[in-house]
Amino acid sequence: MDKQPTYAEIFKSRGISRRDFLKFCGLTSVSLRLAPSLLPKIIHAMETNPRTPVIWLHGLECTCCTESFIRSSHPVMADIIFNMISLDYDDTLSAAAGHQLEEVRRKIMKEYKGQYILACEGNAPTKDDGVYCLVGGDSYLNVLKETAADAAVVIAWGACATFGCVQNAAPNPTGAVPVSELITDKPLVNVPGCPPIAEVMTGVITHYHTFGTLPELDRLKRPKAFYGTRIHDKCYRRAFYDAGMFVRDFDDESTRKGWCLYKMGCKGPTTYNACSKTEWNQGISFPIGSGHPCFGCAAPGYWDDGPFYTRLADVSFLGTDMNADRIGVIAVGAAAAGAAAHAAVTAVRKKKTDSENDQLEG
Amino acid sequence: MGRIIEEIYVWKLPVRMYHWINALCITVLFVSGLYIASPFLNPPIGEAVWFKQMSIFRFLHFTAAFIFIANYLFRMYWALFGYDKYARFAGFRPWSPKWWGKPFREQMASYLFLRSDEPRYIGHNPVAAMSYFIFIFLGSLFMIFTGLAMYGENNPGGFTDTMFGWLIPLFGSSYNLHIVHHSAAWIFPFYVILHLYAVFRHDVVDRTSVTSSIITGYKHKVEDEPSLD
Repeated sequence: MDKQPTYAEIFKSRGISRRDFLKFCGLTSVSLRLAPSLLPKIIHAMETNPRTPVIWLHGLECTCCTESFIRSSHPVMADIIFNMISLDYDDTLSAAAGHQLEEVRRKIMKEYKGQYILACEGNAPTKDDGVYCLVGGDSYLNVLKETAADAAVVIAWGACATFGCVQNAAPNPTGAVPVSELITDKPLVNVPGCPPIAEVMTGVITHYHTFGTLPELDRLKRPKAFYGTRIHDKCYRRAFYDAGMFVRDFDDESTRKGWCLYKMGCKGPTTYNACSKTEWNQGISFPIGSGHPCFGCAAPGYWDDGPFYTRLADVSFLGTDMNADRIGVIAVGAAAAGAAAHAAVTAVRKKKTDSENDQLEG
Repeated sequence: MGRIIEEIYVWKLPVRMYHWINALCITVLFVSGLYIASPFLNPPIGEAVWFKQMSIFRFLHFTAAFIFIANYLFRMYWALFGYDKYARFAGFRPWSPKWWGKPFREQMASYLFLRSDEPRYIGHNPVAAMSYFIFIFLGSLFMIFTGLAMYGENNPGGFTDTMFGWLIPLFGSSYNLHIVHHSAAWIFPFYVILHLYAVFRHDVVDRTSVTSSIITGYKHKVEDEPSLD
């Protein structure tokens, strides 16, 4: 196989100036929260390291991660996809198809054994031997395990691959499980979101390319640089939250004034993601910026976390849909009623004993 | 009325202090918690920057929570090491048939009107001790742990998050943890109603001044039969 060109060579052949190349390196290092002293290291790695081969698998998913990724703002989409990373296998974007493409995957697995990145979009159904997702005539479960065996690192893209998303929401008919539960013997990074922000995706890949390791991860294996704060923590509407000024209805005056969407079910306070800081589509906006509450797509199990437009989820309780407060009020009411009934019985019995005593004495 | 024939010093000052600090904290925590979950007050009028409605409720909630925790730890110390036979864990032996068997059944039977006489206890009766253990000891512990797990979320990897953050994946997600914390908070008003009712009822039936005992510390024994003089 030919020598893989470096990123810098690719940029040059694409007519991207050195100035733009440095800009990309600078932006990436900032978004990765790296010290300024590490910028030369990124530039050096970009200029000298051969591109990292990537196998991009699609399981049970909707391809929104790919859609997000190809809209990455700095460097232009075409360059990042087809040149920056050596995206050698991606059944959505490849020109080849069928056996031809599967052959490519096996070839990369052999030639770059232990060196390639396995990027998974979507999770794998495990019920009935994984028949609910078939890729190239085999179950995705098998393809995933086979490809992961020789990968250097595994990147789980999006809510599906990281936490399961809608596929493993109750009752999870196909037994879909997150990639991290299937592949436990490889370094793995979870990049949740439905989809993740494009800059976050390129950031993770750049970090691996530069340092040869995954970025610093948190408890849920998410890169701390992007998932270290909640959307709520950096929300531009936070002032309204602190002041107690909340949107109560979408038809309300408060909606037009752009008050806090907490009461409309915003999951910003429980969701770790970079939306309120990086924003979407070249930093144009993000859901809250467009007046819609965050529904927590980067949080684990968000489909099961109640209706999107209420703050307090409906708890399934004895077959009813009630929220915690109604159940609480009923329980406390029952306690009060029970106490009252008990008091009445006590009073009646006391009266009876008293009159019996009186009779005995009389 | 029967004459007071004996005064017994049951609740020492640290126990009474604990009780009232706990009661105050629970009230503040419950009300502020309800506001935080679902802000029920009208929004202030004017520039957001001048107002701190939610901040104040959150401040109250967190402050009361830390006082509640300190108070709880103090009570645990007192229960384990305090020289106080009515407030010690030593007397609480739910694993022992001696504690669990007859006395508990007798007290329960009395509450259920299955026997007419009331067993007499100077401290907590076994049913009271059990409900106290479940609601206050375990309930508070649960609220403290889940609360601190959420409190640590503003600084992932920090001390609070490292100590208590492991609870979040246990409940699936941070949002679920919020819901569980919120739902579990309702055991406190539930318990308070049963507690107050039991106290008032015992005061009426046994005439032991149990209601005022948590202020004065003294319970009274009265003559069973009305005195004739």
